[in-house]
Amino acid sequence: MARLISRGFLGRRRPPEVEKRLPPGQYLVTDFPVLSAGPTPHTPLDRWSFRIDGLVKSPVSWSWPEFQKLPTETVTVDISCVTKWTKLDTKWRGVTVDTLLKGVEVDPAGQYVMAFSDGGYTTNVPLNELINGQGFVAYEFDDKPLPPEHGGPARLVVPHLYFWKSAKWIRGLRFMDRNDPGFWESLGYHIHGDPWKEERYSGD
Amino acid sequence: MAALEWQLGTVTTIQPETPKTKSFYVALPKWAGHRPGQHIDLRLTAPDGYQTQRSYSIASPPELSGQLELTVDLIQDGEVSPYLHDVVMQGDQLELRGPVGGYFVWDVTVGGPLLLVGGGSGVVPLMAMLRHRAAQHSTIPARLLYSCRTPDDVIYRDELNQLAGSVAGLEVLITFTRQAPAGWTGYQRRIDAAMLNEVITPFGTSARTYVCGPTLLVESVANLLVGMGLPADRVHTERFGPTGS
Amino acid sequence: MNVETADMNTELMVDGNAIAGELEQIFGHDMTMAVARCAGCAADSMMATLMAFVRGPGAVLRCPSCTSVIARIVETPTATYLDARGMLYLRMTHAS
Ligand SMILES: Cc1cc2nc3c(=O)[nH]c(=O)nc-3n(C[C@H](O)[C@H](O)[C@H](O)COP(=O)(O)OP(=O)(O)OC[C@H]3O[C@@H](n4cnc5c(N)ncnc54)[C@H](O)[C@@H]3O)c2cc1C
Ligand SMILES: [Zn+2]
Repeated sequence: MARLISRGFLGRRRPPEVEKRLPPGQYLVTDFPVLSAGPTPHTPLDRWSFRIDGLVKSPVSWSWPEFQKLPTETVTVDISCVTKWTKLDTKWRGVTVDTLLKGVEVDPAGQYVMAFSDGGYTTNVPLNELINGQGFVAYEFDDKPLPPEHGGPARLVVPHLYFWKSAKWIRGLRFMDRNDPGFWESLGYHIHGDPWKEERYSGD
Repeated sequence: MAALEWQLGTVTTIQPETPKTKSFYVALPKWAGHRPGQHIDLRLTAPDGYQTQRSYSIASPPELSGQLELTVDLIQDGEVSPYLHDVVMQGDQLELRGPVGGYFVWDVTVGGPLLLVGGGSGVVPLMAMLRHRAAQHSTIPARLLYSCRTPDDVIYRDELNQLAGSVAGLEVLITFTRQAPAGWTGYQRRIDAAMLNEVITPFGTSARTYVCGPTLLVESVANLLVGMGLPADRVHTERFGPTGS
Repeated sequence: MNVETADMNTELMVDGNAIAGELEQIFGHDMTMAVARCAGCAADSMMATLMAFVRGPGAVLRCPSCTSVIARIVETPTATYLDARGMLYLRMTHAS
């Protein structure tokens, strides 16, 4: 197989001034690449709902207006995509998973969560990595409504894991007693996905 | 059958086509030939091992042997096209594999009448078909409907004029979507049903159509053609992404 | 696809032609004209005409009739994964 270093192709950059903030093998971007696995769903807001079900005592669901009334937090975080880009200081507003779980009685066996989205996308996250402010459902990016190509009306954001865990177009969380793999985790990607440990592929 | 292999080519000539597009002639000692409409995958490797890959259609006809012509539109903020435009020089090596694709292919054995619809750099694989048709002295009736933003954006303008004037049975129709040349009497709008209807009328629904370019253009043209009664298997499509939109 | 409501995600969609090289690498010959029957709606589509989402962790091919996932391909440094659960079958015409 031919092998060549392309003359003058620097690839992407790891500027020294932010080097410490970039996980291993990641490169800095300043734009916001659009990544996707399917068409934009365009669910009208009057038919949108957010649901928590699975291993819970009784499932709960919020309509869009109800969801908007939940208390929100604004955070600024760095995000890292497994396709090797990292974007620093992204500003989100959304509802933390802690807030969503208030009043939900989770079965003690339900230690794992499958986030599910419009269009059929899924991703698995252990419950203990969503609580204590680690995960939230965001509907504003940079003080503006989250654009559809970035997952609007609402997406999950779990900044300490690779960004495929931050499911676009999220519609709910399903509690499970096993860490079942989601869309990418079931096809070669790491079940956990910590960028600082470079958990990209299964077996890493 | 031999697996598709990455091979090294040498850039022999770089030719500006428009302010935003350049053609790259790449000499390939191991090239096994291609069919009009096929593309190659190009791979770039950085010193730290980082790699990235893009597809580019082959502009040259199979009759041009030993080298390929690739024509690349510059995407501002892109990763690969600015590298090709601003860094690559004559004599540089490029790593590529191909030819790939068997579906978006037309040669004279496929027959006609032939309707080609392209937008922006989507004209590249269609040009390989027209060059092949000319090289074969084919008289299969052919029409190219080519959507460009402005007169500056017409890739292969002189060659298209020359082909249209010298080759039997070929008509080239350009539509300008943003700004037409002074005194232009041709189309000046996005491709729509009325335009397609006029262009296809001499051929009717027996036309073999090849539609290529920005995804949204291909999507809408293909839907219109099928809506006009063309069998879906005669409407060949290839989507480039957001190019030129 | 609705061209009117298109966003960047829609514009970035390509088709099966874009992964002709990956498919040929896996199967050893051109696959763009192989016909996949969708497990969701039973529509037949040539691989070249499938909707392709290639900007992500892997390539996702979807049925142009019902948008359900027909196949997924992931390339890791050590392996290639192909999930074809979304098709009932793949028909490859013999070369004549
Ligand atoms: C089968 C096939 C054949 C192709 N043949 C040709 C060809 O002959 N000539 C040619 O010029 N191109 C062709 N393309 C498009 C080409 O593969 C690249 O997508 C294009 O060169 C942009 O790559 P980039 O690395 O410069 O930009 P990227 O780094 O990929 O993108 C940079 C930015 O531009 C946006 N973007 C991404 N892709 C495009 C795009 N295509 N147009 C505009 N904006 C974009 C992205 O959202 C991103 O923000 C072909 C594509 C396919 C699938
Ligand atoms: Zn289907």
